[in-house]
Amino acid sequence: MTKRQRDEQKIKRMLAENKRNERRVNFIKAALLDIFLVFYSILVMQRAIIYKFFLDMRDVPFSWGQISVIFFISIVAGVLWTMTRTSLSCTLFDVAKEGKASKYTAEVFGWFLFDITFIAGWIVTKISLIDLFSKDGLEGAQRIFSALFKPEFGIFDDVLFATIETIYLALIATLISIPPTLVISFFTARNLMKENKFTFVIYYILRIALNFIRSVEPLIWAIIFSVWVGIGPYAGMIALLVHSIASNAKLYSEAIEGIEEGPLEAISATGANKIQVVWFGVVPQIVLPFLSFTIYRWDINVRMATVIGLVGGGGIGTLLMQYQGLARWNEVGLIVLVIAFVVWVMDYISAKIREAIY
Amino acid sequence: MGKINILKVTDLHKMYPNGTHALKGVSFEVEAGEFLVVIGLSGSGKSTLLRCINRLIEPTSGTIQFLGRDTTELSTNGLREVKKQIGMVFQQFNLIKRKSVLANVIAGRLGSIGTWDSIIGKYPQSVYDDAMECLSLMGIEEKAGVRADSLSGGQQQRVAIARSLMQKPKLLLADEPVASLDPATSNSIMQYFERINKEFGTTVICNLHFLSLVRRYATRVIALKAGEIVYEGSPDEIDENWFKTIYGEEAEEVEIR
Repeated sequence: MTKRQRDEQKIKRMLAENKRNERRVNFIKAALLDIFLVFYSILVMQRAIIYKFFLDMRDVPFSWGQISVIFFISIVAGVLWTMTRTSLSCTLFDVAKEGKASKYTAEVFGWFLFDITFIAGWIVTKISLIDLFSKDGLEGAQRIFSALFKPEFGIFDDVLFATIETIYLALIATLISIPPTLVISFFTARNLMKENKFTFVIYYILRIALNFIRSVEPLIWAIIFSVWVGIGPYAGMIALLVHSIASNAKLYSEAIEGIEEGPLEAISATGANKIQVVWFGVVPQIVLPFLSFTIYRWDINVRMATVIGLVGGGGIGTLLMQYQGLARWNEVGLIVLVIAFVVWVMDYISAKIREAIY
Repeated sequence: MGKINILKVTDLHKMYPNGTHALKGVSFEVEAGEFLVVIGLSGSGKSTLLRCINRLIEPTSGTIQFLGRDTTELSTNGLREVKKQIGMVFQQFNLIKRKSVLANVIAGRLGSIGTWDSIIGKYPQSVYDDAMECLSLMGIEEKAGVRADSLSGGQQQRVAIARSLMQKPKLLLADEPVASLDPATSNSIMQYFERINKEFGTTVICNLHFLSLVRRYATRVIALKAGEIVYEGSPDEIDENWFKTIYGEEAEEVEIR
C-alpha cells in the first residue's frame, strides 16, 4: 500500500514538473513571436505604408543599419510586452494573465495586424480600377476575346497530336510513379514505423524529404529537368513523376495510417511475422484507396502537363506558348477550347471510375 | 484433470505512456483445461490483462510464465512461437473484411507458413483441409467462399474462432467475444467456447460482462477493479454483495437469457 502511494506521489510530482517546464517553453515561444510581430508591424508600416503610399517612392531605400535598429527596438519592445503577460502571443501560447486586459490587447492587436497586412497587400499589388476600365484596356480585351471565340480550325491536327502527347505524358508519369510510391508510403506511415527508434528516424527523414519535394512546384521541376535532359515531353514527364511520387506517397501513407488496427492485432496474435502482418492486415484495407488516389493523380497530371508545357515540358502547353508568343489569338482560341474539353472529360471519367470502385 | 499450470502471472504492472496505471500488480495461476472468466467494469484492465498474456501489449513489469517459460524475456522469434500456441478472439471479430472466409481462417496458420509462400498464396493441401474442418466445427463450412464482411456478427465471430482454432491453441484468449452480439447469439457463441474447452481440453480465458453467462460457463472467476484482483473463486459464490463490490454500489444485475 505504502509503495503504491509513493509511486502515485512520484507521478504527481513528475506531472507538475512537466507542466512548469511546458509553461517556461511556452513563455519563450511567446516572446519570440512577440519580437517577430513587432518587427513585422514596424517594417510593414514604414516601408509599404509610409514610403510607398504616403511618400510615393519608386525605389525604397534599403540599409542593414536601419533594419538592425528596427530589429533591436523590436527585441526590447517584444520582450517587455511579453513580460507584461498581456500580449497577443501570451494568449496564443496560453501563458497570459487571466482577465480583461489580455483579451482586449489580443483582439486589438490581432485586428491591427490584419489591417496593416491587408493595406500593405493592396499597395504592393498596385490595385487600380482605372487600369481595369481604361479605354485602351477595354479595346484590347475586346480584340482578344473576339479572336478566342473564333478558333482557327486549320491547325486542328497539330493540336490533337499535342493533346494526345500530353495525355500520354501524364499517364506514363502516373504509371511509373506507382511502384516507388507504394514502397515509400509504407516507410512514411506513422503507425507502422513508430515502434522502434531506427524505423522512426527513417520515417522522419523520408517525411522531410517528401515535404521538400512536394513544396517545389512541378513547374520548377520542369525547368530543372528541361536543362538536365533537354526541352520536351521527357522533361515534363520526369517533373510530373517526381511530384506524383511525393504527393501520392503522402496520401497513400495517410490511408495506411487510417486503417483499422483490429485485423493487425488479430494477425499478429496468430504468431505471424511483421511482413505477413502488413500483407494480410494492411494491404487488403488500402488497395481501393490507393487505386482511387492514383486515378485522381492521372487526372491532376493531365492538367499539370498543360501548364508544364508552358516552360518547355512538351505537349499542348508548348504549342500554346508558341502561338501566344506570335499573338495569333485565333489559334490560341482553338487550343484553349481543346484543353478545356480534355480537362472536363478527364475530370468526368476519373470521378466515375472512383465512384465505381468504392 | 492434470494439475499442470499452463499460465502463471506474477505481479504484473502496466503503465501506459499517458500515465494510466491499468494493471497494478496482478497475480494469478491458470491450470490446463480451465475455463477462466475475467469480469470487471470497462476500464478495469481486463483487455490490457489479456493482451499482456500474448504480448500484444508490453507489460511494464512482472512476469508471465506460459508453460513454464517467462514470455516477458523472449526474443521476437521466441515470442512468435508462444503466440502460435495462444489463440485470440476479439470483441470486434477483427477479420480481414475484403477477403473470403476461407482466407481469413487460413490466416490463423500464418505463423507456420513461410513469408513468401503466404504472400503468393501457396499453401499445402493440408492447410485447406484443416481450415475446412475448423469451419465445419463452427458450422459455417458453406460460407467458405463468401466475403467476410457479408456475414452477420455471430457468423463473423464464428469465423474468428475458426481462425484461432487453426493455431491448434493450448490457450484461447477471448476479449469480450459476445459484447457486440445479441443475447441469443451470445449464448450460442459461448457454447462453442464451451465445446472447445471440453472436447479439445483447450484452456480458455475469457472477458465477460454478463453474470448469467459467467455462472453458466466459467469454472473459475477473477474480478478486476481499477487494475487489481478483488475476487477470485467459483462463479457460484458471487452474490449480491460481491457484485456490488465489483461493479459499484449503483449496479443492479440484469438478466440475459
